[in-house]
Amino acid sequence: MMQNTEGKKSESETYLRVEKLKTQFFTARGIVKALDEIDLTIRKGEIYGLVGESGCGKSVTAQSIMYLVPDPPGRIVSGKIYVGNVNILTGLEQLAKITVKSETNVKIKRNKRMIKRHNYLLSRIRGDRISMIFQEPTLALNPVIRVGDQIAENILLHLKVDMANAILRREMSTRKDYESFVQKALSIGDKDARNKAIREWCESYSISDAEELVRNIFLTYQDPETVVKSIEFIVNERKSGTNINRLSRAREYYLYQQRLFEATLNLMEAESGKNQDEIDRARTALNEIKKEGSSFLSFRIINKFIGKRIEAPLRDAAKRRVHELLNLVNIAEPERTALSYPHELSGGMQQRVMIAMALASNPQMLIADEPTTALDVTTQAQILDLIRNLNRQMGSSVLFITHDLAVIAQMCNRVGVMYAGNIVEEADVNTIFDNPKHPYTIGLLKALPRADRIAGKMVKLETVAGSVPNLITPPTGCRFHPRCKFKMDICEKKKPELDDLGDGHKVACWLYQEPGGSGK
Amino acid sequence: MELRYFILRRLLLLIPTVLGLSIFMFILIEAVPKAILVTPYINPHSRIPYIIQEANALKILGFNYPPPIAYLFYLDRLLHGNLGLMSMPGYPNSVAAAIVDAFPNTIQLTIFASLLSIAIAIPLGTYIGARPNSIADQAGRVFSLTGYAIPAFWLALMLQIVFGKNILLGNPLGVLPFSGSFSASAIPNPTPSWFVNGITYPTHLVIFDALIHGDFPLFVDALKHIILPVLTLTYGILAGILRFMRAGMVDASNQEYVKTARSKGVPEKLVIKRHIRKNAMIPTITVMGLLVAGLLGGVVLVEYVFAYPGMGYLTTQGILSYQIWLVIGTTLIFGLILVLTNLIVDVVYALTDPRIRY
Amino acid sequence: MATESNVGGSILKAQPVKHRPRVEDFKSTFKLFIKNRLAFVGFVIVLIYFTITILDYVYPSYLGVKDINTIASWVPQLSSGVPSGPTLSHGWWYIFGETLYFAPIFPVMLAALKTDITYSILIVLTGALIGIILGTMSGYFGKLYDEVLMRVTDIFFSVPTLVLAIAVTVVLGKSLQNVVIALIIIWWPIYARLTRGVSLSIKSNKFIEAATAAGSSGLRNVFVHILPNVLSVVFVQFSLDLGSIIQLFAALDFIGFNEGSPLLPELGNMLTWGTSYLVSGIWWPIVIPGIFLLIFTVAINLMGDGLRDVLDPKLRR
Repeated sequence: MMQNTEGKKSESETYLRVEKLKTQFFTARGIVKALDEIDLTIRKGEIYGLVGESGCGKSVTAQSIMYLVPDPPGRIVSGKIYVGNVNILTGLEQLAKITVKSETNVKIKRNKRMIKRHNYLLSRIRGDRISMIFQEPTLALNPVIRVGDQIAENILLHLKVDMANAILRREMSTRKDYESFVQKALSIGDKDARNKAIREWCESYSISDAEELVRNIFLTYQDPETVVKSIEFIVNERKSGTNINRLSRAREYYLYQQRLFEATLNLMEAESGKNQDEIDRARTALNEIKKEGSSFLSFRIINKFIGKRIEAPLRDAAKRRVHELLNLVNIAEPERTALSYPHELSGGMQQRVMIAMALASNPQMLIADEPTTALDVTTQAQILDLIRNLNRQMGSSVLFITHDLAVIAQMCNRVGVMYAGNIVEEADVNTIFDNPKHPYTIGLLKALPRADRIAGKMVKLETVAGSVPNLITPPTGCRFHPRCKFKMDICEKKKPELDDLGDGHKVACWLYQEPGGSGK
Repeated sequence: MELRYFILRRLLLLIPTVLGLSIFMFILIEAVPKAILVTPYINPHSRIPYIIQEANALKILGFNYPPPIAYLFYLDRLLHGNLGLMSMPGYPNSVAAAIVDAFPNTIQLTIFASLLSIAIAIPLGTYIGARPNSIADQAGRVFSLTGYAIPAFWLALMLQIVFGKNILLGNPLGVLPFSGSFSASAIPNPTPSWFVNGITYPTHLVIFDALIHGDFPLFVDALKHIILPVLTLTYGILAGILRFMRAGMVDASNQEYVKTARSKGVPEKLVIKRHIRKNAMIPTITVMGLLVAGLLGGVVLVEYVFAYPGMGYLTTQGILSYQIWLVIGTTLIFGLILVLTNLIVDVVYALTDPRIRY
Repeated sequence: MATESNVGGSILKAQPVKHRPRVEDFKSTFKLFIKNRLAFVGFVIVLIYFTITILDYVYPSYLGVKDINTIASWVPQLSSGVPSGPTLSHGWWYIFGETLYFAPIFPVMLAALKTDITYSILIVLTGALIGIILGTMSGYFGKLYDEVLMRVTDIFFSVPTLVLAIAVTVVLGKSLQNVVIALIIIWWPIYARLTRGVSLSIKSNKFIEAATAAGSSGLRNVFVHILPNVLSVVFVQFSLDLGSIIQLFAALDFIGFNEGSPLLPELGNMLTWGTSYLVSGIWWPIVIPGIFLLIFTVAINLMGDGLRDVLDPKLRR
């Protein structure tokens, strides 16, 4: 069951870093302190499991990372979330002024201009670098839009430049290009490596539907001349006579939009740094780029009227990519499925579509918020397999949220255990199951029915006494202390920090640390 | 393919409804004293005695038979387009002929009002619904609530007072005509051949006929006459659409798929336009039939106040001179219009919402 | 997590709670209702209008306006020629000016409000009563009865309300009494439909099943279990309909059903009187009664919306 030892690379690069994230809900009954300054790092390529009882803040964590906490009543109050190198909470304090007069009387003054700019930032990060799979695919898919269009929407939002590049390359490609590629490919002896090169090449020419064909050609013929001729034939057949001038103009515009975004991002980061010189510099840079915009005026006007026609080749490419993605998530008839509406698909199919959608723009990070809870058991296993395989294939990181420890054991490299808005223990998956430290984790594991323990005789499952506390008035100090068997005096007074016991096994519990310092 | 069968089935289902409607109308006719029913069938100047004329008329109408047979007579007349007779000065003798003359004007008013209100209410509702509890939302709420509550005939009178030409002295807004569908002074002299007895040909709509025959001044005049009635009708139906559009927007914004759209990085404007509005339209369409029913009621009052020569005005004239056949005839036609509108609404609904099974 | 799987037990336990929840937490409902300021303002205004109506019945001599001839004969005429406009210098009767026969608008209008409100309540109440009875039975007994009732209401709904009201009144004979009867005839299907829907959904509830299993008879079920639940929904509809009916009643009177009583103080009549002066620019006989009618309809809509929000959260729009 627990075979995930290969993911135990000691200190590989992190992709997602959450620092002191604090999310609260301002309700009529009081402030719900849903997340209490949690820290979280997720490395490239790993599957990180987040586990805990319902109401402990798992989903809020996921929603906070996507900045999708419903507002009102919820707001991220403070913290940093680095996705890659971008802090998506840049300029957080400028978005809204929160004045807390009392628990039930909170004034939130929103700054519309800043929120608009922040939304712009988010629209460039979400879907592009980080995607999310939701719990209930039935609710999460738009009922009145064909699923193919819903997936294509994601592609058209984030991959315009890549697709335009590939199409232009294909349309302008000559015999010379094929010759150099064939030479290079033939020189690669290893079959897998060559296939990989072939796939990349096909993708870069937007002819990935011909990938298998090209591979077969290489297998069948050894003579370079024949291979080049065959490939030339294939590519020429797929040339669509796109208006190259118009598309390259469009590409320039998309690139300009990208530069504009980067400059805006720089300015936002500078502004949060409070260094006046840097702010000025970033602002001038942004204005420079904005000036460039005037040269796109005519293009933008044309785009208003015949935007659909300009984008047509991109749409074509996106459609083909949708079919590939549906194939990738094991949907049998991609063409037919792409044209159907969500309600025409089963729950498992819908979740596959959701996954395809989340993967559409090659994000580095995937958040799966209880992706199998709403599905029946057989489908669950298939979806879990799918997520695990895709994680291996694409090398993206996954934040996997579930309340099911069995699923965690199957899927994850590392695990974080959440309790009442805190991460109380974090370790790689074997350590958590073999050597849990936090009383809450121990309790959770004891509540798990296990074949080896029951073996032959009826054993009453233990439960963690009590229930998740009301987070409007959470317990002082360690939030777990009212339910803890090992309660000490200090537990009520001071909140324990998440402390490393060595080997990346972190626990937030006074049993393992001294009140003054940070030792074991 | 499937849609065609759906429409066909709906059309077949129409038959019992229309039959029921005709039975209902017949019951109403049966409740009227026979002497009144035969009045328009009797020629007072004829030398034939009244009693014989009455007996003849009753025989023609089938009233000498028991009610079920008499109903078949009635149904037969309906199927031949015979809605009965009437006698009102300035109108044709046949109810059907009078309705044919008036019908286009009513349809014109309702279509203009519907289009105008849809054109305003959908974008406005989108805007308001995307900003619940903002100042714009509060204003919109008061606006639509008033539209619900305001009596159409009083609103018509108010518009006459405020915009009517020569009603209030020195009123800079008082520039619009407020009675009829054109001014007598705007008719070209000599009266052209397409203008007979105050009815224009071929469409019976002064606005379009003037355009067809290139009479621009008459066109402008007729256009001015239609402004106030259309505005009155628009307000009521606009309020209804706005209310449902707003509610639909608020409801759709809280759905999970909006979160999905945001998680994909769809810009906020597109989230509203592509993901929320499309879903918000569906409940709005379902209530459209109800709104049209209100609109058809309103058109009677509005035509009455503005003396606009449509079916509603015709009906009110019929009330004044007690023309039973006319009133029942227009009621039947109004009913048919509503039934057909509901059919169209159902089809549009089926087209918009993919979840509907045909 | 210990869940009760004892089905029968949980049903029987649920019954008394579901039975009359609204009566029990009437106080908290009312508090919630008051919290919605607009709805509360509407409620107060409606109350004022009702008070005027009741006062008029308790002290007929207070206004005692049977028709405007009577009032016009014993009040002074402010000017000759045309009715004079709103003025403060002749006491409160004249603050809104004069109308037909130089009758002062204010007292006539109060009498008119009485007429309209009385008739409207009469219409909606009777219509609702008929509709509730027929609808509840239909929802409960179902089958053929239900089918017939639904087809009949279908026909009623296939003609615009106002047009249907005109047709029925013309058939009955043009008089205000017949307008009232016609409106009742066309109004009950709304309640029949509404009640049928609610009682159907309640009928499928577990507690009715349990009651039947416990030996409760069909008719008893209708009156003891379904009716109380139907009433709160009907109450909301009732308050909203009052606004529509008063408009409809005035409108019918306005377009020519006032033949038998052209001088009766009634809002539609008052507007008819006003139209005869319209072209001479005399606006107050039209504007003033209309505004008072509008205030009432707006208030009752505010109140109805507020009621719906607290009584029927599921239907909240």
